Amino acid sequence: MSALSGPAQTGGVQPPTAMGLILSIVLIVVALALAFFLVQMVGVIALVGIIIGGVLIAFGVHFVPVGGAPAAMGQAPGIATGVAMLAAGAGLAGLFGGAWAAPFGLAVALAGGTIGGGLLMAITCTMVNVIYIFGMGIPAASGKVAKDPITGDTFPEYKSQGTEGHGLPFISWVGGVIGGALGGLGGTLIYLELLDVYQAQLPVILDVTVEQIAPVAISLAGIFAVGMFLMNAVLAAYNITGTIEGPHDPKFKRFPRAVIAAAAASAVAGIFAIALLELVGVF
Amino acid sequence: MSVKVEVGAGGIPHNQILIYGLVGSLVLIYLTYLNTVTNTQYFAFFGGLAAVAALIWGTDTIKHLCSYGLGTGVPSAGMIALGSGIIAAIFGATTGIFAPIVTVIIAAIIGAVAGLMANHVVRMDIPVMIVSLIELAIVGAMTVLGLTAMACGTFEFLGMITGTVVILGFAVEAYGASVIGGSIIAVIFMLGAIAIQHSFNACLGPGEQQDRTLMLAAECGFLSMITVAIISFAFIGLLAALVSLLVSIVGWIYTYTKYIELAKRDAYAWLDAQPIMEPKGGA
Repeated sequence: MSALSGPAQTGGVQPPTAMGLILSIVLIVVALALAFFLVQMVGVIALVGIIIGGVLIAFGVHFVPVGGAPAAMGQAPGIATGVAMLAAGAGLAGLFGGAWAAPFGLAVALAGGTIGGGLLMAITCTMVNVIYIFGMGIPAASGKVAKDPITGDTFPEYKSQGTEGHGLPFISWVGGVIGGALGGLGGTLIYLELLDVYQAQLPVILDVTVEQIAPVAISLAGIFAVGMFLMNAVLAAYNITGTIEGPHDPKFKRFPRAVIAAAAASAVAGIFAIALLELVGVF
Repeated sequence: MSVKVEVGAGGIPHNQILIYGLVGSLVLIYLTYLNTVTNTQYFAFFGGLAAVAALIWGTDTIKHLCSYGLGTGVPSAGMIALGSGIIAAIFGATTGIFAPIVTVIIAAIIGAVAGLMANHVVRMDIPVMIVSLIELAIVGAMTVLGLTAMACGTFEFLGMITGTVVILGFAVEAYGASVIGGSIIAVIFMLGAIAIQHSFNACLGPGEQQDRTLMLAAECGFLSMITVAIISFAFIGLLAALVSLLVSIVGWIYTYTKYIELAKRDAYAWLDAQPIMEPKGGA
């Protein structure tokens, strides 16, 4: 194939095109209007929650130190897997935490989701460093900055020649935990908003009690939250194009693009999720 | 991950596979409607075959898209496909007899938004991005709808959320004992995701051959079908589920032997190594 060179890698960050910006604003407005038209104010609040959740996910992904295949060989800093896998792990762990805490109210559930996602990333990052340092014998050294912004440790004297850095510096660890927490928070928010919508609508449509329909409502909200989580995480991954070290990486400054994209994508996916039960029994 | 992705040239043109995949999966999924027409459940396996047809098409699309070097690894494309697809599939399922067609339309809308966001806001600037994400969303949606129809014998929403449990010899309707209420949909999501992201990820590189990659895609599809056929024992009649299981196993054995043949054809050399035998009576 002739196009193996990949996307155009010009210097700096390319801003979104005017068409893209206008389109995303139009999509969000149309989705909000549709939500109001179909499910009234409850729908608008749910959709706003979903959009905020999507934005949190896309923003959170930028904090996670993703190393990819080079990291597995100790040639780049970060966790040795792709963005989508890491984000899915953190987000789903958060979602489980939040879904478990859902009966205790919004605040506790959101906190549960945040802690779940953050905890998974904290464990992952710690074990990654244990393997790097004690298993592979490589010290943590960032390739993008000379000094750790938090601890003040210097990196250049530890960085091996020909690599972009290696291991997982403390700033990346902190970034991973923040990213996991944000992802867990966003995923839980989407889940809770959808659960509210389904628990209100399903008993009316099927003429049953809330308790009877709970498995269906929980399952639908959960699977839609997973679906939207992966959409937003992959859009953020496309924004990062591969590897990122954490919040100190120059690529981190690209996040506004992913935030806009995630908001529009979540709005469109969210409107279908909210309006899911409008057509039941029509055909 | 900045690993260069190499794909082989030649083979069947992509547009031809697109048409076969789309029409094939639509026709096959409509064949499960014979269950409703004849009031049996023996035709559930057509849903799985629809998923296999969609997966073959999706693998070729991923090959097309990933040859541009996304930088995020091949699995991310499978994740966004199923993430956007599952929303479209469940929304489409609520429209009764029109479910497969509505699913395709909704998936195309969600995929188009994701593609436009990826190209115009995140600025991937990949020419085939929008078309590919539309195709992948449809593939993901058809895979989920097909496998779900295989598990519960119908592609209609009410059939997916209602099941029966036998208590003291009486059949009682229970929402928890259904494909969605029992969260089997999450298993189907992952079975589809693994099937779609594995084949090209396994076959890419120098000497990649289209027929071998697509044969592996079919093999992964049948492997997922076997699992869904086992799941379907819980939801459809014993004989109908046995028919599904038989079709899946026969399909899997056929595609697996074909794949091994093709792998032998493309390999430089092939050594049929025997396991090392322990000498009798000890060494």
